[in-house]
Amino acid sequence: MTTVPLVPVRRWISRRQSAHRERGATAGNIYFAVLFLAVVGGMVHRQLAVVFWPTHPNASGLAAAGLVPVLFGLLYLALRRFGPLALSRPAASWLLPAPVSRRRLLLPSLRLTAIVAALTGTLLGLAIVGHAAPRTLGGETIALLGTGAGLAGVGLLLVALAAQAGGRWGDRLDALVSLLLAAGLAGLIADATTDEPLAAGGWPTATTLVPLVGAVALVVGSFFALAVRGLARTPNERILDAAKTAGTLFDSAFGMEPSFLTDMIERRYWARRKLRSVRFPARLPVLVGQDLLLVLRRRSRVLWLLLAAGLPVLLASAPHALIGIAVLIGALLAAGIPAGNVKTDAGNPVLLRLLGLSSRQAMLQRIWVPGVLAALWSTAALTVLSVLGDLPAGPWWALGITLGPVGAVAAVRRARVGFVRNELLPLDTPMGTVSTGPLVNAVIGPDALLLGLPALIEIAQGHPLSWLTVLVQAVVGGVGARAYLAGTTDPDRVVLNNR
Amino acid sequence: MVSDHPAVEVDGLHVSYGSTPVLVDVALVVPAGTGVCVTGENGIGKSTLLRCVSSLQEPDAGEIRVFGGSPGGTPEFWRAVVTTVEPPTWYPGLTVREHAELVCRAHGQDPDEAGIDEALDRLGLAGHADAIPPQLSSGQKQRLTLTCALLRPSSLLILDEPEQRLDREGRAEVAGLLAEYLRDGGSLLMASHDDVFAAASGAAITTMESLSAVPR
Repeated sequence: MTTVPLVPVRRWISRRQSAHRERGATAGNIYFAVLFLAVVGGMVHRQLAVVFWPTHPNASGLAAAGLVPVLFGLLYLALRRFGPLALSRPAASWLLPAPVSRRRLLLPSLRLTAIVAALTGTLLGLAIVGHAAPRTLGGETIALLGTGAGLAGVGLLLVALAAQAGGRWGDRLDALVSLLLAAGLAGLIADATTDEPLAAGGWPTATTLVPLVGAVALVVGSFFALAVRGLARTPNERILDAAKTAGTLFDSAFGMEPSFLTDMIERRYWARRKLRSVRFPARLPVLVGQDLLLVLRRRSRVLWLLLAAGLPVLLASAPHALIGIAVLIGALLAAGIPAGNVKTDAGNPVLLRLLGLSSRQAMLQRIWVPGVLAALWSTAALTVLSVLGDLPAGPWWALGITLGPVGAVAAVRRARVGFVRNELLPLDTPMGTVSTGPLVNAVIGPDALLLGLPALIEIAQGHPLSWLTVLVQAVVGGVGARAYLAGTTDPDRVVLNNR
Repeated sequence: MVSDHPAVEVDGLHVSYGSTPVLVDVALVVPAGTGVCVTGENGIGKSTLLRCVSSLQEPDAGEIRVFGGSPGGTPEFWRAVVTTVEPPTWYPGLTVREHAELVCRAHGQDPDEAGIDEALDRLGLAGHADAIPPQLSSGQKQRLTLTCALLRPSSLLILDEPEQRLDREGRAEVAGLLAEYLRDGGSLLMASHDDVFAAASGAAITTMESLSAVPR
């Protein structure tokens, strides 16, 4: 097959595209981006310093060892989720099937991803060094460690690239990386609960690092060259998938509509699953049975949430109000596992009409499983905190149970929110115009967590928990859930129209 | 729903989109226990008529009665009426068979006695019972919609081109199921482009032009 040179094609496309742009638009965009970074950087440079380079090292060896799999695991999983090799949607439709050199077509994408992976790796590495290494460490050593971390980022990209082109082993590797990430989180939690000494010594010197980093650079460099040579072998459907992801990501960003992305991830998840029909549990109301089935089919999510019940411990040294907020947000996330069903009904009531149930009946049934999940999560999180002594005495497990309805109302309200309303009036602020639609949309759902205010105040104050507070929280949560159902559903209406 | 009223009575129905009138003084009666199939070219207002009867669209003027009552979004209405005039959606993580069972159980039917497996088999979905609906072809999705619509109890079916996207065997099978539905006392209002299919389903064929008092 003859191959058409790609460079003239790309140049032709870019010339046509720029014909539609104003003169100097690109330069203007770059100018604004740089100005934006400078302004934001100037505003938050102190916070950035705390994150990347605190005045004194404050992490133990265990914490540093935990951070490595957590941060680099997240980098790897993000690379896997977005490709890592992607094309823009127009290029995927028009250039992928064209007789152009496949390697040249994909090379810019690989170059860009490699730069991003290297920069991210370097930043992550520097942050870990900044928290764990003594300030006596020389500049050379720090630079070498940063370079090594950047190379590790590129290395992860190459593994993700091979997994994108390869077979089922990629999925197994993802599971393994998730496990490592979980182990890292467990390490961080263990570190927060014990008094580990700060990591002081044991850092390699520049003389030992130079050959090591050199060797890693050689290995990564040669594998990168191999990857470039094998680039043309990446299967088409993987690139098309990644192109769709990239396109949806941009749609979500420009339309400020995160549901585009979450819906796509959800659709892909189910398309890959192989299901076997089961009978609905006969004793349960039909929609409760359906929610339960959905939760059982997302067991891995439940497992992750159970592990995450230990995460509020990491906030033990922060103000206690933050622990309370973390517990409430966790309850919302736990209750959101079966939210896809409510979301379907809220988006299109066709199935509700077919089921012939009133909106009151439907929501009454749909709120149970989220409530139980939120109660389980809050109970687990508060019990862990109380057992580790981060909370004063009291029946915290009971308070956790009373947070069930709070999480359930918040998750169900979130699932019913629908699309961002971009017709809402924009707000003029000194920093520029802010469109209110996405802001309002983001708040609907989490705002119902205010029903957990009694628990939040109790956790923030740090007084021993009394049964009276548990009772107050139970009443507020129960009455709030009842009022929510009464106000947003109707026994004489089928659709969940909450507008 | 009382069955001594006609299943559907439409009188003096007017609907226009902007300045374009689509339905002008339309009248229609579907006696209970019978079927009516409305035919006519694209854009003549068949779907609009069905949407109005299903209470999914507000007409500009005119009266619509379904079993003697005004159609509305109440659970009682939707327990008596099934419509396929809207594009379907599906629940996440629920298989084809589970969708059918969900619909049956929501109407208090025993899933073993409702004949789910027979219905899936008759419409050629038995081999896809464990698939999720988005994995099905468009014709198979149409079959699943009709399976769910026909499995659950109802008094009136409002179907918009049920033969759409079906192959010849599928059309014959669906027409047979609709004829059975009418024999069991159900009422049917549908729009179709296929006269053979409409006749096989036992519905009386009427053209959209004949329903309008004003010649177009």
